[in-house]
Amino acid sequence: MSCITTNSLSKSYDDIAAVDGINLDVRSGQVFGFLGPNGAGKSTTIKLLTTLIQPTGGSITILGTDAIKHPLKVRNRIGVVLQQPSYEPTLTVEKSLEKYGMMWNVDRKQRRDKVEELIESFDLQEIRKKKNEDLSIGQRRRVQVAREFMHEMELLFLDEPTSGLDPSARRKLLDFLKNKVKTGLTIFYTTHVLTEAEYLCDKIAIINKGKIIAVDSPDELKNRFGNEKTIKIHIAGIQQNLLNLLAGIQDCKIDFNSGTNITIHSNKSELVLMEVLQLLNKNNVIIEDLSAMPTNLEEIFIKAVNDSNASSA
Amino acid sequence: MHPVLRLVNRNITISLNPGFLIWQIIFPLIYIFVAGFAYTSLIDDVPFENTKLDYPTYLATGMIGFNIMNSTLISGIIIWNDRRHGMFEQIMAGPFTRTDYILSNICTIGIVGILSATIIAFVGYPIFFDSIEFSIFTIPILIFASIFGSILFGSIASIISTRLRSSEGFNVIINTVFLFFAFVSTAFYPVSGTPEPLATAFYLNPLTYLVDVIRAGIFGTFSNFIIIEMIVLIVLAIGLFSIATRLLTKLDF
Ligand SMILES: Nc1ncnc2c1ncn2[C@@H]1O[C@H](COP(=O)(O)OP(=O)(O)OP(=O)(O)O)[C@@H](O)[C@H]1O
Ligand SMILES: [Mg+2]
Repeated sequence: MSCITTNSLSKSYDDIAAVDGINLDVRSGQVFGFLGPNGAGKSTTIKLLTTLIQPTGGSITILGTDAIKHPLKVRNRIGVVLQQPSYEPTLTVEKSLEKYGMMWNVDRKQRRDKVEELIESFDLQEIRKKKNEDLSIGQRRRVQVAREFMHEMELLFLDEPTSGLDPSARRKLLDFLKNKVKTGLTIFYTTHVLTEAEYLCDKIAIINKGKIIAVDSPDELKNRFGNEKTIKIHIAGIQQNLLNLLAGIQDCKIDFNSGTNITIHSNKSELVLMEVLQLLNKNNVIIEDLSAMPTNLEEIFIKAVNDSNASSA
Repeated sequence: MHPVLRLVNRNITISLNPGFLIWQIIFPLIYIFVAGFAYTSLIDDVPFENTKLDYPTYLATGMIGFNIMNSTLISGIIIWNDRRHGMFEQIMAGPFTRTDYILSNICTIGIVGILSATIIAFVGYPIFFDSIEFSIFTIPILIFASIFGSILFGSIASIISTRLRSSEGFNVIINTVFLFFAFVSTAFYPVSGTPEPLATAFYLNPLTYLVDVIRAGIFGTFSNFIIIEMIVLIVLAIGLFSIATRLLTKLDF
């Protein structure tokens, strides 16, 4: 079943198209990863899907309901952790969890149980009596994410939930989310951290300049770019005409900013590597360091974004 | 529970802190008992309508209006803090509408306004006991004053808090505006005997109208002028409330 569907969804601010005609199809029970560089339009998309802002064009259907016509109906069934911090400065951690449950009309007994459960899951025992205004940034973020689980929901939007969290808190949160998905929750997840997306997401969309440039499962994305390897060569000393020499090599893409680092992406890495080494040898260029590795999601992300930037320029 | 009531519950929880209680209760009491009695040696009787009141009596009734006005500051502070700490956005992404949010603020200040007006009225009661003229209008007038005073000043506070961006600006402006309202009004001294420009300024100030109406209710001194003042309060409250609502509805994320 479709959980989120959008059709040519757009949002413009003055002369910039923050979201530019995107079509999404998120299935129930999935973790849908939404990746993109700064300013790509991730948060704007989340604000559109959670009915915080009105689109300039297009349609949104959330859990079978038209989100533009019936925003409140949609909001009653979803949860959101926005990118921006939000907290009640003067309340203690446990009180603010409890009050948030009250705001969502969760009954008193259930609220008390939930508070205890979340304090346990999110490691908040030590700070439960502290006021929110006295917490560190990462602690506050943890409370903010935990708070959203005070109420039941069918679909959860998370806008970079792990920002500010240390590695162990990060891992704990990801595992907590994985367990929630097993109980039927659908998650729309925004992040910059690609290892997180790889670990958590069933499907990934990459967005750049308001447009979706790739949608696939993490494995498929890697397959698609998978034969490609990245070769990194560090040479000793700057070589003036090297760029011209390297330009003659086929079947590869070379990043060489006339410094001492050469990065080569290629699907035929063995052949290309051989040619490069011969060439460098012939020109008496000394190699200080060399590595070749399979392209990971991070590289795919950067490549996809660069390609889309190049084609739009 | 209705969404508005859930928000009122939350508003009251976050507003009830020692600082606020001191501001709301201790501060007016100090005014009544310390200033009221200290100034008695300087000011004997205050001419009021066709009678005279002693100064503590005059001041205690003024403090009821002053307190209604002060309690509306919490509406501005709630909106301001909600914007600054991201709660406005979070609430708007939850099971609430903007109308729920606005109504909950009005209800919150209405409740706090009536409670603190009642506290001051009770504490001040022994002081103005001798001069009080109970009539069937006294209680309705006090309720009228609490409601329209709350809406009027609450709207001013919320207009300021939706328009401003920096927190220094918010504190400076809201304190200046409310200080002007407090001291350039008939809450602390009567209009008769003040220089002409100041007397004019008194009547550019909605607190003067509010306090005049409250005193008319307590001392039974109705006149056509009081009716006009009540109409001015109603018109101002409705006008400012619609501006405040429009600004809050347009507030962007
Ligand atoms: N309220 C606004 N007014 C004007 N422009 C805006 C507004 N909100 C966002 N934008 C613009 O829209 C574009 C997309 O912003 P958005 O916040 O969605 O990016 P993002 O992908 O979430 O970036 P980040 O990774 O930095 O969070 C940016 O160019 C931003 O400047
Ligand atoms: Mg963002």
